[in-house]
Amino acid sequence: MAKLLEMTGITKAFYGVRVLKGVDLDLDLGEVHVLLGENGAGKSTLIKILCGAYAADGGSMSIGGRPVDLATHDPRSAEDAGVATVYQNFHLVPHLSVAENLSLGRFVHQRSGLIRWRQVHAHAREALSRVDLGIDPGARVADLPVSQKQLLEIAIALSKNARILILDEPTAALSRRETDHLFRIIRDIKGRGIGVIYISHKLEEVKQVGDRISVLRDGVKVATLPAAEADLGQVISLMIGKDLIRRGARERRADPTRAPVLSVRGLKSEVFSSPLDLQVAPGEILGVTGLVGSGKTELARALFGIDPSRVDQLLLEGRPVRIDSPRTAVELGIGYLSEDRDVDGLCLGLGVKENVSLVALAKETGLFFSIPAERRAATDLVSSVGLKVSGISQLVRYLSGGNKQKVVFGKWLHARCRLLLLDEPTMGIDVGARGDIYGLIRAFVAQEGRAVIFISSDVEEILEVSDRVLVMARREIVGELEPSKTSKQEILQYASRLGRARVEA
Amino acid sequence: MTELSQNGTENTTRSGSLAALAGLRALVRNQAFSMLLILALLWIVLGFLSPYFFTVDNLFEITLQTAVIAIIGAGMTFVILSGGIDLSVGSVFACSAIVGGIVFTHTHSLVLAILATAGTGALYGLANGLLITLLRVPPFIGTLGMMGIARGFALIFVNGVPIYGLERYKFLGQGKVLQIIPVPTVIVLVVFVLGYLVLTYTRFGRFTYVIGSNAEAARLSGISVRRTQMGIYATCGLLTGLASIIEAGRLGIVQPAGGNGYELLAIGAVIVGGASTFGGEGSIVATLIGAIIVTTIRNGLNILGVNAFWQYVVNGLVIIGAVAADQFRRRR
Repeated sequence: MAKLLEMTGITKAFYGVRVLKGVDLDLDLGEVHVLLGENGAGKSTLIKILCGAYAADGGSMSIGGRPVDLATHDPRSAEDAGVATVYQNFHLVPHLSVAENLSLGRFVHQRSGLIRWRQVHAHAREALSRVDLGIDPGARVADLPVSQKQLLEIAIALSKNARILILDEPTAALSRRETDHLFRIIRDIKGRGIGVIYISHKLEEVKQVGDRISVLRDGVKVATLPAAEADLGQVISLMIGKDLIRRGARERRADPTRAPVLSVRGLKSEVFSSPLDLQVAPGEILGVTGLVGSGKTELARALFGIDPSRVDQLLLEGRPVRIDSPRTAVELGIGYLSEDRDVDGLCLGLGVKENVSLVALAKETGLFFSIPAERRAATDLVSSVGLKVSGISQLVRYLSGGNKQKVVFGKWLHARCRLLLLDEPTMGIDVGARGDIYGLIRAFVAQEGRAVIFISSDVEEILEVSDRVLVMARREIVGELEPSKTSKQEILQYASRLGRARVEA
Repeated sequence: MTELSQNGTENTTRSGSLAALAGLRALVRNQAFSMLLILALLWIVLGFLSPYFFTVDNLFEITLQTAVIAIIGAGMTFVILSGGIDLSVGSVFACSAIVGGIVFTHTHSLVLAILATAGTGALYGLANGLLITLLRVPPFIGTLGMMGIARGFALIFVNGVPIYGLERYKFLGQGKVLQIIPVPTVIVLVVFVLGYLVLTYTRFGRFTYVIGSNAEAARLSGISVRRTQMGIYATCGLLTGLASIIEAGRLGIVQPAGGNGYELLAIGAVIVGGASTFGGEGSIVATLIGAIIVTTIRNGLNILGVNAFWQYVVNGLVIIGAVAADQFRRRR
């Protein structure tokens, strides 16, 4: 029987840089094929070729036994062939309703052109039931939580009779329960003979959902193996091409005897359900965790002066300060790495050096700035943060997620800030680059008088990296824990406890 | 780009030819280069079509016409690089010139007249900046409104009647330095050298690019986006005022209906020069070439005897064509 998908010898280069060097990938009916690889390994490029966003330079492809002409393959023909992708960033129209999004471009209408809304809604309810999503088809998509948007995207793909479903980091923003729901849906999809290509950085998921695993490294497929037989340690070394993941031990711990780098009392805003208090000592990595929507990001945004907030007392190294805009925060030596680096962290159309000098230039006052100094700083940073680039003028747009994050890091390091607010700094970043980011965080706080507030919904990461953990739930702080004396279990209990209490009350 | 193609390939024959191809592609993708090519082509064609085209008089005429559009275009480059647009330049051009003309008829001081003209332009620019930063009106709409306001004031100030007798302006529009280089050309060179220096070596210039590339990232990096935007629109207004002085010097009069359609030409010069309409990408040198192209087309239509009304049509087509070509190139 013909394979659902066969890609052979796919090559692709951007400006002479070969990103794919002859990659093979195949997919059976009803199979979940997990695609693993570090950022920059070529996963997204391969997927974009499959769904017609990029044209391959060479190779061949067939879908359901039918050869596809790669030269004329485009998003339209990919959709016609039954390829559907659920991206990390959603392709939904936020201002329209769930039903409208489901029927977009194919509204059921009368001969006069008027839309038959009753049928549109009936169609929507049916599509939603296929992913077990019990929401009102009339709800506005912008009002849905991330997890429901994701299921809605899958519902849209299924309603277009997709045969090959590509899930790109589908659980990145999902809680445990939501992830379980998603896996249930995926198993159901498999049962209908649909093939799934599953991209994830969370290795523990691979065995739960995957049938086969393919590992890409530097544009080459290094292995394809059955998920059941795969040893995760072996998979990791295949991905990073090394035998060990770097787990650098911290040398310096927090110094609680000195004045805190930041001390906040009574932080209030419209989003927080009760005033927040927190302190970070010099040399400390303060972890903040919680489920999606628990208020972690809002905390960082309030501290950095992006969203309006009031505070009873805000001390920076013991001195009272006022932060009412990102500009004042930057001037006080605070840095913020946002959740979505592409949207508000980087100038994608500019080079590495222009991006790393951004904050430093903003803090300067003179009319001119020194170009040689900028070049030197950028060159130094490339080596100190371990950035893989072809030169300091390389456009940031063409970097992988991990390298992009290193550029954002470099921007704040270069500006010599003393307190870093990191919001999900390893989201969408693979194992190898994650270790690098942890290393950067540790190296940062090892310097005199520096501290980090580390926000993440990945509890294991929080336990590994932080010196102290704050747990948030329902937009307030519900617990403070010592990583050495707590467990993933306990943190998750804290993170969900209040939610349950509210429901019961 | 060259740096990338050199370092990104290995020492195999296949990569070697790839690198050569990438180098060629980089050259073609280099806007300034391909624009010079188009300009040369344009000149050759016009030279064949009209024996008059390559006469000293006509080339001199092109230089003078280019000056006005190029100087407005220099200001427009800042605006478009920052991801904005300024539709008011044509009207601001007229109003600045009128204010300068009024000051001149009352004081007979050329210096005061020049200051008044440039100052009026800068004030309109600041007003545009305030609309955009303080009232958060999108640039397209804010400057569209200002287009009406400035034109209205230009007509109101003189009751619709042009101001004559600006003989002393003439040196600025028709004079020559060392009896050979036209004064407007000197002003253009000064403006573009300064513009290049500002965009390359100053924080203001860098922030202009950064805001155009990602305004939110700029704000979160501590850049005062509003102040920079104010500066950008003020620069555009100031240069528009400056350009109007040159035209007044060329014609010896200022008229409230002047500068009609100049926004189209200035935006055309920037876009033809290859700046991205989304901001963040482009260069001021390319704008100069773009201005010469736009003026050459206008001049060519003139000497070929094409009805002047058609020039608007052609200008519009040139802008649309340039953006379409840019989009095509981006899609690769």
